[in-house]
Amino acid sequence: MSIQPIPETVPAPTLVLRPERGRRGIFGGRPIWLIWPSITLLVVIIGIPLLIAIYISFLNLDQYTLRSWIQAPWVGLGNYVTALTAGNVIGASALTSLGVSLAFSLLTTLIITPIGILAALTVNTRYRGRTLVRTLYLVPYVIPTFVTALVWRQMFLNGTGLVDRFLAAIHVANINTYWLLGPNSFWAMVIADVWASWAFIYIMVLAGLQSITHEVYEAADVDGASSWQKLTRIVLPQLRHILALALLLSTLYHFNNFTLPFVMFGTPPPLQADVLPLNIYVSSFQLFNFGLGGAMSVITLIIMLIPGFVYIRALRLGEVTAS
Amino acid sequence: MSRRKRDAQEILPTPLRVVAIAALAILVLIPIAYTLLLSVTPDIEVGGGNLIPSHWAFGNYLQMWSTVSLARGLSNSLIIAGIASVIAVILAVGAAYIITRFKFRGRLPYLYSLIGLQTVPSVMLLLPLFVLFASIQAALHFRLVGTYEAVIVTYLTFALPFATWLMVSYLGSIPMDLEEAALCDGATRLQALWRVIVPLVLPGMVVALVFSFLTGWSDVLFASVLTSPETRTLAVQLQAFSSAQEGGALPLYGQLMGAAVVSALPVVILYMIFQKYLIGGLTAGGVKG
Repeated sequence: MSIQPIPETVPAPTLVLRPERGRRGIFGGRPIWLIWPSITLLVVIIGIPLLIAIYISFLNLDQYTLRSWIQAPWVGLGNYVTALTAGNVIGASALTSLGVSLAFSLLTTLIITPIGILAALTVNTRYRGRTLVRTLYLVPYVIPTFVTALVWRQMFLNGTGLVDRFLAAIHVANINTYWLLGPNSFWAMVIADVWASWAFIYIMVLAGLQSITHEVYEAADVDGASSWQKLTRIVLPQLRHILALALLLSTLYHFNNFTLPFVMFGTPPPLQADVLPLNIYVSSFQLFNFGLGGAMSVITLIIMLIPGFVYIRALRLGEVTAS
Repeated sequence: MSRRKRDAQEILPTPLRVVAIAALAILVLIPIAYTLLLSVTPDIEVGGGNLIPSHWAFGNYLQMWSTVSLARGLSNSLIIAGIASVIAVILAVGAAYIITRFKFRGRLPYLYSLIGLQTVPSVMLLLPLFVLFASIQAALHFRLVGTYEAVIVTYLTFALPFATWLMVSYLGSIPMDLEEAALCDGATRLQALWRVIVPLVLPGMVVALVFSFLTGWSDVLFASVLTSPETRTLAVQLQAFSSAQEGGALPLYGQLMGAAVVSALPVVILYMIFQKYLIGGLTAGGVKG
């Protein structure tokens, strides 16, 4: 999954230490201009393009009208209708892709959660070689996504890949099972992503575990709690906030994952692995139907707003900074 | 229950822990071992009946440099991801200083937008940026798509919000007293920032730099659309190389896996060097609040 930074886990600390109001503090002018390059750049490379993307979604824009895209014919909601019903000529409709993306991101998150928790529990106490284990756990997570995709593409190769060889050797499936085409491709994508991303949950849970004080465990020991009771009565309840955040971020991240299916399956991808970002990419940059791609992007953005909003609420920036 | 050296924090009984570690280690290592094995397998034998090759083809690691322009890809990735992350970190420190030291209108919306922007799907930004670049170059008659600059700009769309957010949390943890001492001694705000704050947040800057760099290093989306054969990054080179093997008479899978190892290795090494900083820096203080 490549290093997916987790900036979000860094909470807003006391954001204003000792705010200075008024135009001039005791120490002279406020160098507010320091923030201008950042704001300007964000507006120019993100803000304006976002608005343009929304505008494009109402245009009939292709490689011929691209030169003067402002004058491209206005088609209203036409692109949205096409996106939801038909999609591009070689791919799934946006609705189908949405289903694939949702199933993919939720299922992956569901699978990696117990693995991540279990992994965190194995390195929670000190023992010889713990550092080595911790390092090992993070290796799949730090390998760049395109390399992960190349590796798993090789693993799933029909007939010669390790997966087919193994399944044939234990007589579970025919050696000629296709994983990169057809219905199995969805599972191939899920398996590869689980391998690459479970350490995300592991990192978050481990950080959470370390914030539980030692006394709590000792009290549990004195009360004669079993391991299972400690896990379900003490650890998991204490972790619920960070776990909720981890699940949300993981779902968001997987939903936006473009590289893995793109490199694993190439284009056009099998319909069962035609996730929304990939569908937008093919529509826009391979079929040059920019309007359709724009409409699909806006649909994606609207869907992302829901978890995004929950996330921003959860951070409670306002409360921290209100003081 | 023997209480001799049992750690109260221990939840998994030792045998269970050993089994779990072994299972996870196998899960992690199988694809890696397979990749390493294939990378020294002669291309002819990759599809053969035996998993273990008849001889070790270490030559794959030499041939691949001429099969794909790996060296060019490496240097392009280094230039593009490097410049983008340096710009992002410098701008982020300036912005974070203002955010944490002063109150002004628009501060909160700015912070919210930093987080909100991280949920915007990248492909949604690529589309209008590509249209913009294409129309600018048509109108002003100079090449933009395919240049380093175009890709660097798009990498800033993810590097800048991330680096700023990270620097805000780092600068927020530096007490004001330190720079006030400098200010009382007659230093200007900028001098205080440069002499007092920057040395203190250097670890944070390294974390932001490394993460921004690695995200750029693994990008395929922006680079696949905005680079030309001369500016292609490593990731795109490999993606193209991989899909070109499909129809070929003899797929060069051995060399492909060798190239994959070479692209992952710098990242894994970088991570091992900065491991303490990276994991600690991102999660420490983080979850305790």
